[in-house]
Amino acid sequence: MGEFENVLGVEWVGKTGDFIKIDEEKCIGCMNCIKVCLGGCFEMMEKKARIKSLKKCMECASCWYVCHEGAIMFSWPLGGTGYRSNWG
Amino acid sequence: MDEEFDIIVVGAGFGGPVAAKICAESGLKTLMLERSENIGDKVISGLTIPFYGFLFGPDFIRDGNPPFERPSDGIINYIIKDIEKGDIETDDSLRVPKPLSPIIAFGYNAYCKPFCEWEVKKAVESGVVLKKSTTAINVIKEDNCIKGVITDKGERIRSKIVIDAEGSKGLLAIKAGIRDRYSPDTISLADTYDYVMPKELIDKIFGFSVKMCWGWDEQKVAPPLGYGNGLMVWPYRNSLHFMQDQCLSMNGNKVPNLNKLFKEYHLNITEKLPWWKDLVEPHAKLRARMWDGFEIYVGLNNKLRNMPNHTDGMLLIGDAAGLESTELCDGVPAAWFSAEIAANVAIEAINANDTSNQFLQKYDRQIKAHPIIQWSISGRNRFDLRIAQREHDLKVLKKYIHNGWGMGALTHFMTPFFRTLLPYVDNDPFIMSKWIKMFFRYFQNWRYETYGHSGKIVTKRMSSKKLRKMERRFVRSLRLLDRLLGALKKRIKVISFILVPFSNSSSNLMTKILPIIEPLYKYGIKLLNPILNRLSKKILKFAEYANPKIFQN
Repeated sequence: MGEFENVLGVEWVGKTGDFIKIDEEKCIGCMNCIKVCLGGCFEMMEKKARIKSLKKCMECASCWYVCHEGAIMFSWPLGGTGYRSNWG
Repeated sequence: MDEEFDIIVVGAGFGGPVAAKICAESGLKTLMLERSENIGDKVISGLTIPFYGFLFGPDFIRDGNPPFERPSDGIINYIIKDIEKGDIETDDSLRVPKPLSPIIAFGYNAYCKPFCEWEVKKAVESGVVLKKSTTAINVIKEDNCIKGVITDKGERIRSKIVIDAEGSKGLLAIKAGIRDRYSPDTISLADTYDYVMPKELIDKIFGFSVKMCWGWDEQKVAPPLGYGNGLMVWPYRNSLHFMQDQCLSMNGNKVPNLNKLFKEYHLNITEKLPWWKDLVEPHAKLRARMWDGFEIYVGLNNKLRNMPNHTDGMLLIGDAAGLESTELCDGVPAAWFSAEIAANVAIEAINANDTSNQFLQKYDRQIKAHPIIQWSISGRNRFDLRIAQREHDLKVLKKYIHNGWGMGALTHFMTPFFRTLLPYVDNDPFIMSKWIKMFFRYFQNWRYETYGHSGKIVTKRMSSKKLRKMERRFVRSLRLLDRLLGALKKRIKVISFILVPFSNSSSNLMTKILPIIEPLYKYGIKLLNPILNRLSKKILKFAEYANPKIFQN
């Protein structure tokens, strides 16, 4: 099951805009967002979470749900952009 | 210049098009917004839509030809005691028996994308204006009343009422100040895998069953996905979905490392679970992996359950209102029911020229009085079995599984089912025959892969006299049923005297008699198996070759 590492069958299109943002002041570096993000969108830099890339974001908002500090702002990407799946 | 509509529906998933269609049909100028470029782009999982959604849902779905992938006759539960040794028990008591199965289905497995496309097409045909690639980013609020939405392109679109069908995240509802973000312990992250497999093998391995797996000792068996969660595998025509899910938070605020857990669980199941490893794995090709969260335990939280679902000028439906079924992890029937209720309340409000919070309370009252919606959001078995898993109590785990996804489900489903059914039959005595025709038509559609939009049914007609005789008998029986129910309607007062108390106590009655009737039922089915099989073949042949016209409403 080597394919597990690659996200298959889903496309990412268009200029989404910054639909997830992190407020560095509020982030306490608990790593909850890293634990739940299956797209690997976050990384740690100097004990704070930072967005690495939103290119594999499925817009599930798990990061926003688990951020107890309210440091993550989640909104929808611009209309017609973001992930696209044929198999849902 | 601002555009203006009577109704704006936000979201073209399962519920949105139903609400929009009803509003448009009543003559209201209706707009439906969808953030994706193509309908269904943003859906990450298909599902089994339970039969009660079709029975009590919108007329156009019941009487139409919606696209689904496979009828399902029930659930096989795998209680995994030791995956290494292959020590696994099964509970498949909640399966529709032959000869009813697979025509009278427990549910219909469907990819959401084509299903939602079909619903949207029906809505647009009824006059709904559809705008795709348009994200509603905020509401227009004037004097604390919602007067429309603002889109990502900066348009301000005004309406008398906004129906919010945007799903569980509810960003627009939060902006409107109606509800809050759901707490992470109520959200389950579903990790879905789409596998392609030849149809013949799916027929052989899965047939019409949905498979669910539950770990007993989750540390050893299915390490360590956590408590109260499991795996569902449901077959389509020539593919299948594998969905594992886990709450975002358990045991207080602790957030599990889902990246690690999902990977381990997936590997463990695919490499060790005997039927997957031996029968599925060698033939299945992974086509897609997707994930999203759904609000599984919102209905169990009293505060969230009673959160507002409307404000001046705005109504929330489906997942946006927290109406996900806890046990079946399925929000479609509740989305359809709430969409119909919301649309009818919205039409009334506009006709009365009163879109105030107070008037729209009617919606909340009807949602709280809907027996199946309330039953589906408050099922506790899935939540409670986490305790059995934590305590490694096999007996208790089996009890919850039996009560949730085995025959024990009848001990809590009968009363809500009859309470919903009786008013339907009272309003329209002919509905019973419509339901029967629906089941037969759906099966024939499935058999011939026609869903009303691909032209003629290529039915290889059997020219035997026998078939025509069966057709005549079928039509005559339904006519007789209609006549009988029509006649009974005249004596409704006498019948209600018996049926209403029966319906109200049927779950309790079932709790008492199930321990006696279940073994008898199992024994009877086993004993009658050869006869039931023969009968089933006969009915299937009839359903396959009969003139499609006799199944149309």
